[in-house]
Amino acid sequence: MGNVIMADLARIPELLPSIIEMVAKVVFIFTMNMGVFAPLLGWVERKQSALMQDRIGANRADILGITAFGLLHTLTDAIKLLTKEDFIPRGADKPLHYLAPFIAVVPALIAFAVIPFGGQYVLWGHKTNLVIADLDVGILFVFAVASISTYGSVIAGWASNNNWSLLGGIRVGAQMLSYEVAMGLTLVGVFMVYGSLRMTDIGVAQENFFHWGIFLQPLGFILFITCALAENKRTPFDIPEAEAELVAGYFTEYSGLKFAMFWMAEFLEMVTISGVLVALFFGGWQIPFVTHEGLVKFFGFLGSNFAQVAVMVVHVTVFWVKVLGWIFLLMLIRWTLPRFRYDQVMELGWKIILPLALVNIFITGAVMLMVM
Amino acid sequence: MSEYQMDLHTEPMILNMGPSHPATHGTVRFLLKLDGEKILNCDTEIGYLHRAFEKHCEAGTWTQVFPYTDRLNYNSAVQNNVAYALAVEKLLGVEEKIPARATYIRTIVCELARMADHFTNLGAATLELGALTAFLYFVEARELTWDLLESIYGARLTSNYVRVGGLSSDLPEGFAEHVRKVFIKNREFWREFDKLLTKNRIFLDRMRDVGGISQEDAIAWGFTGPCLRSVGVEFDVRKTDPYLIYDQLDFDVPVGTTGDNFDKYLVRMEEIDQSMKIVEQCLGKLPKGPININDAAVRNPSKADVKTNIQSMIHHFKNTIEGINVPAGEIYVPTEGSNGEMGFYLVSVGGGKPWKCRVRPPCFAITQAMGDIVKGAFIADIIPTFDMINLIGGECDR
Amino acid sequence: MSGTYRKVDRNVTLTLWERLYLPEVIRGVTITTRHFFVNFLSVTKAYFGGKPSDRKIMTIYYPDEKPVLPEAYRGKPVLVLGSDGRGKCVACGLCEVACPPKCISIVGGMREDGTRRPVTYKLNGAVCIFCGLCEEACPEEAIVMSDRYEGLSEYDRKLMVYDKEALLVPEEKLGKRLDYIRRRMFGKWNY
Repeated sequence: MGNVIMADLARIPELLPSIIEMVAKVVFIFTMNMGVFAPLLGWVERKQSALMQDRIGANRADILGITAFGLLHTLTDAIKLLTKEDFIPRGADKPLHYLAPFIAVVPALIAFAVIPFGGQYVLWGHKTNLVIADLDVGILFVFAVASISTYGSVIAGWASNNNWSLLGGIRVGAQMLSYEVAMGLTLVGVFMVYGSLRMTDIGVAQENFFHWGIFLQPLGFILFITCALAENKRTPFDIPEAEAELVAGYFTEYSGLKFAMFWMAEFLEMVTISGVLVALFFGGWQIPFVTHEGLVKFFGFLGSNFAQVAVMVVHVTVFWVKVLGWIFLLMLIRWTLPRFRYDQVMELGWKIILPLALVNIFITGAVMLMVM
Repeated sequence: MSEYQMDLHTEPMILNMGPSHPATHGTVRFLLKLDGEKILNCDTEIGYLHRAFEKHCEAGTWTQVFPYTDRLNYNSAVQNNVAYALAVEKLLGVEEKIPARATYIRTIVCELARMADHFTNLGAATLELGALTAFLYFVEARELTWDLLESIYGARLTSNYVRVGGLSSDLPEGFAEHVRKVFIKNREFWREFDKLLTKNRIFLDRMRDVGGISQEDAIAWGFTGPCLRSVGVEFDVRKTDPYLIYDQLDFDVPVGTTGDNFDKYLVRMEEIDQSMKIVEQCLGKLPKGPININDAAVRNPSKADVKTNIQSMIHHFKNTIEGINVPAGEIYVPTEGSNGEMGFYLVSVGGGKPWKCRVRPPCFAITQAMGDIVKGAFIADIIPTFDMINLIGGECDR
Repeated sequence: MSGTYRKVDRNVTLTLWERLYLPEVIRGVTITTRHFFVNFLSVTKAYFGGKPSDRKIMTIYYPDEKPVLPEAYRGKPVLVLGSDGRGKCVACGLCEVACPPKCISIVGGMREDGTRRPVTYKLNGAVCIFCGLCEEACPEEAIVMSDRYEGLSEYDRKLMVYDKEALLVPEEKLGKRLDYIRRRMFGKWNY
């Protein structure tokens, strides 16, 4: 026993770079998601919708007269939601009511683990891969985890002892189930083209601008973004929480921090979706017409190690800029379109997207056969 | 029935929608019986905004009713003013003597109010369908229209503008120019709204073939206004029974075919356009001259006359304290409100106070049919259907 | 005159292009994006250029910027204080009877020189509906609708009952409104 521990301890110096790398990556993604995106997207959503609608948007919260373009509203929101009464309705299933927001928010965070936010770099002899978990099932992990978050919404609807919540919960269940099937099938084409499920492989394969997913799988891209919007439960697919019909759907009876968690889960899902979109269809961390080696050469004057660092910084920045661009677009769509009706969402999922996804697989297969 | 089904105990879900629910604005309550998402039965309950308007009217003089009529259909308040004034004038028998300018201005404010009402109604409908941006574009257009009305009578909603025998004030200077500027913007918002929604498949799917009603049913329920025209019945009080100067104007009245929500939406969209045309025509023809009847027993005298002329002063005091002396009789005058036929049924037993002031609110008759229209539809269909019926609590519950 | 009933176009037959969701989504997003960038640029310009009028948006920063009120605006009713330091009201009671919700109550009396004045003049702001009929009724131009719209709400109804002192406003400050009443609202050429 003691020998085993000793043996493990002895390996520490050898594993140290890997441990540091892993901790750094987790901290980085966690800060990006929880520290930057979760709070900031509330502000972006407010301000963007305001400008789209010829308004100014939230701008009143201030500290000593400094409003910072309404950014402080994020802070006031946090304070408000933290100090608000946590209300559980009479007759609610308390443990489940308590559990539901956690089930919703945790998968949204975890899903980002397999999305590569940069390429592979050799820093001081240590090979660094900018993805938290480079799983060989890659994208399937995202689907698996996203399915778990559905339970959060369904349980929230069930545990609230409220008819509106229940209807919302039922709608979530039906919608997620239908669209997960379609979503999986839309991506089969991508796997066929790149010949891998590993997201880093897909990222590397997109180094050539014309090998980006959007050019190789245009139909798959359109179908996937539709499914992704539906999974995100935002307009035009926000029927589970359609405020005009179901008050607020499955989280009608939530307040305070638990409400904030649902809110956060929605934003984090949006980041994840944008991340997946960028990683699969928009070249991940790649810059169009610039190869990895080319960039390393460009920064060659810094010396080999620092050139790698510079390339890494550029790649990571490019990835996040692309993600931000997608968030902007998703928000544009959210604020422009009216919402579907329940049966129409089902119809779109089963009767249009699912067959089209199958057709897409078939066409991809046929084209690949011909090309080869 | 198989054993399996017998064991499976199901019962319809009873859902109480409103009075405080995001979609039941204007405070109304639906008691829904649901089978999953399907509506088996819908009971509509109104009366949450009852303020005893008709009883209020009996307590004051004829003039004191005007501020209260503002609160009927608050989206197009000034139309109620006009409808009431027309009824009182007819009872007085002075409707021929109203100056032309007053009639023209009344037409202008009526049509501006109709535009504002439709802007609000269509905007609110899209808001509840989730398209918040389209809603705010129409709210902007409505705000601009209300700015116009505010410059005329000094308030956005509570107009209190029309008086028996004329108007309380004339149009402000530069009004025609102001209207021209606003209409350019309004037309732009109209086009953008049209582009955002009219051909949008999602919107079409939500609106088309939902909430339809047959012609016979519509007439039997007492539908009027855009809701009746949307089923294809050619009925518009402005055409069938012209009041003000509608018989001298060139405007089309849009009619639909099936009476579903999309038809109602299109009819309202087209009416906004026609109303802009009417306002422009009226401004082009607007005659100069007085805006009040030259009859001391009816009108409010000018301040200068009150101070210098004993006759005017006595009339002023008499009219204010006792009210205009309206001869005994009863009358019903219909007008085309933005929701439908808006009529006042007045009974006078002589003297300065109305003995009875009954309103025929358009949306009261239409709301009755709500339960019938949505039966068998989805719960989500309540929203566009109810929006297109356009229940205004102030008018329906009075 | 002319003009008839006209059927509206129900676009029953959408082309395949229009039946696809995508083109309409793109068209809608184009409109909203245009609004976004126009407003974004104009707001940025106003922020750095410093002129609020550069903003091409509908809304205003309310307490910092005030809306422009039209001449006809009906705000809080106020009593006119003449340039001689006396209120113009002669306590004739016309506003009292003209008021539809009956929010005014007056007790009349005499000054030492024999002129009439209100001993008490109470206007219940919680009941007032801002209709302006008191202004119309007043033969002395003593009560007018000011353009004041702020500070009219209180947490206590008792605080909303204004007495004479709270209502009196010097004539000079109401010049525009008095002019409006004489010239436009109740002008001699009105009939």
